[in-house]
This record gives sequence, structure tokens and C-alpha cells, in this order.
Amino acid sequence: MRIAIVGGRSKADFLIGSLLKKGHKIVVINNDAGYCKYLAGRHKALVYNADPRKQYSFEDAQVQGFDLIIALTPSDTDNLYICQVAKRILRIKRAVAIVINPKNVEVFKKLGVNTPISATYMLANIIEQASTFDVNINSVSIEQDQIVLTEILVREVSPVCGKALKELSLPDKTILSGILRAGELVAPTKETVFENGDKLILLSDPSVQQSVIISVAGGL
Amino acid sequence: MFFKNKDHKKENLVLIAGCGRLGGSLAGVLSDRGYNVTIVDKDAESFRKLPPTFTGFQMEGDATDIDVLINSGIEKADIFMATANEDNINSMLAQIASVIFGVEKVYARFYDTDKQNVLKGLNIQAILPSSLSIEEFEKMNAADELSEEGKEGGRLL
Repeated sequence: MRIAIVGGRSKADFLIGSLLKKGHKIVVINNDAGYCKYLAGRHKALVYNADPRKQYSFEDAQVQGFDLIIALTPSDTDNLYICQVAKRILRIKRAVAIVINPKNVEVFKKLGVNTPISATYMLANIIEQASTFDVNINSVSIEQDQIVLTEILVREVSPVCGKALKELSLPDKTILSGILRAGELVAPTKETVFENGDKLILLSDPSVQQSVIISVAGGL
Repeated sequence: MFFKNKDHKKENLVLIAGCGRLGGSLAGVLSDRGYNVTIVDKDAESFRKLPPTFTGFQMEGDATDIDVLINSGIEKADIFMATANEDNINSMLAQIASVIFGVEKVYARFYDTDKQNVLKGLNIQAILPSSLSIEEFEKMNAADELSEEGKEGGRLL
């Protein structure tokens, strides 16, 4: 893919390195001349020292028609402008931006930014999960919080221990995707009996996550 | 004029974001004409630019925070004006007002004339001081040329 990375310091540095390794073509636009020199010395990418708040900077860097633009400046309003110039004028297919104020995640989506990423928003979710669940349960949200993946350790006291999958009544919109048993992945069948030490990997709708946890691990 | 008060049934709620020279003066003019004006700025000191006759509301807060806009009444506003001192702030605010809250009349000031390019197709009016100054200069210049040519012997076009 052809990717433009706009603004940012250590985030840009890290992303450029990791995207180049995967074989993508990278063009960097940054308004800090010193940092541009540093990036150009470290990476095999085209680096332009230009003001990302100006439309002509993007035209000079010739990023028209690129597959992806990533806006990493420390200003939400600048990142929104960058994404909109990219999509509406430069015909770049996808726009990803970091968002400082987590409330702007929704605003950005409504104004056409495909993927707004808020570190505060994600951190708040992780803290919330870490403080809600005990150590035997891990949880990750995917597809912008539409699906939640829950990993639950079965113990002797768990209601499911010694039972077969067919005896279990899981809530709707829940899939038991796999069982980790002694480090091996076991594909569950109706006859599979849960043992002490199994890790169950479940996909579910976020609204039923609590009842999934209760039916597998018991009350919190 | 540009905001003629045609419909008296409406409450004519105006929300202005940014109390600089333009925002503050517009707030004063509209308030004198009987509009219901709320002006938002993150710096309370900036409200000193409002004229003493201003009778509207002053909201201290960062207008790029959507909750501040809601508390300032953007949901009911008939007119929204983005007059912050950064173009990209005005661009984002005008789009929030028009696209998200459906404000009927939305105006935004842009120093960089390129900024209006991303707003094509949206119901947002751009106010471009540089273009307005050029137009004004051309009018003055044309008037000067006319009067000079007049003096030189009536070679009027």
C-alpha cells in the first residue's frame, strides 16, 4: 500500500519503521525540520518538511490517490482537516487519525474519518476492564466495541467444570470459539467436557458479556 | 444586509465561537439588532472586547469540545458563526454545526482561501478576509483611476 504519515514524533517514527518492514511505500509530511532530518536518516521513506495545515503541502508531496493517510499531529482540529483534505481533495481511500479529546471520536466518524483512534478512550476501556474483572478473566473489544472477546480460566469451583458443552446454556449472540488446554488449542464439540485449568475463548455481544462470565465462571 | 431579520416568529438564536475582533464585534452588532446571541471563548479575558451594549450570554469554554457547544445551545441555534483565530478550528466547528446539529445558517471565517475547498457541497458560507480586501482594493483603485482620468481630460470609459 502507499501510505502518507502526517505529523507526529515517536508515534510516526515507530509506525514508519513497522510499515516499511511490511513492504509498504511511505511518504512522510512533518513540519519540524529537525525531526524530518532525523526520520530521513533512519528510514527509507520520502520525507517532506512542510506545513500539514496547508493543502499545497500535500500536493507538493504528491500523495494524491494514496491508499491510506495517517494523521498524528497533536491537534484534533488539524488532524480532522488533514483527513478531509485527503479524502475530499486528494482522493485518498482511507483516513486514520489520532484524537486527543475522546469525545471527538464520534465527531470524526460523522465527519468522514474512517478510523479515529483515541489513546485516552482505549486506556479508559482497559482500566475499566482491569478493575471490573478478576485475574482469571481477560477481555478485548474488537470491531469498535461491537464484539467482545473474553478469555476465562476454568477452575474447580467454576459452574462449568466437569460439564459438557451441550449441558451449558450460554446467552444468545455468544460463540465458544476455542479452548486452550495445556497450551494446545482444542476445537470444542458438543461433547467436550470442561476441565480445571481450561481457558475458554468466547466471542459475544458486549451487552451479554456479564451473563457469559457468570454462566462460565460464576458470580464475580 | 446580510442577516436581515425576516422571520420574527423565530427566536433568532445566534451562537458565535471565538470572541476576537470579528466575533466580539459581530456579537455586539447582532445583539443591538435584537438577536439572541451567545458567544463562546475559552479565555474569559476575551469578553472584554464585547461592546458595553451587548446583552447576550457569555460562555467560557473550549468550543471544540462538543459538550461546550451543547451547553451553549447549538441544538437550538438558527445561526452559527465560527470566528476563532485558527482556520482548522473554524472548519471543524462549522461542520459540527451544519452536519451534526443541522444549524440552518453557518458561517466560518478562513484566513487561508484554500480552506473552503474541503467544505464543497456543505451548507457553510466561508468569509474570506483576504478575498474581501482584494475586492475592496479593486473598488477603491477603480474609483481612483476614474477620478484621475477625469482630471486629465475626460477620458472616461
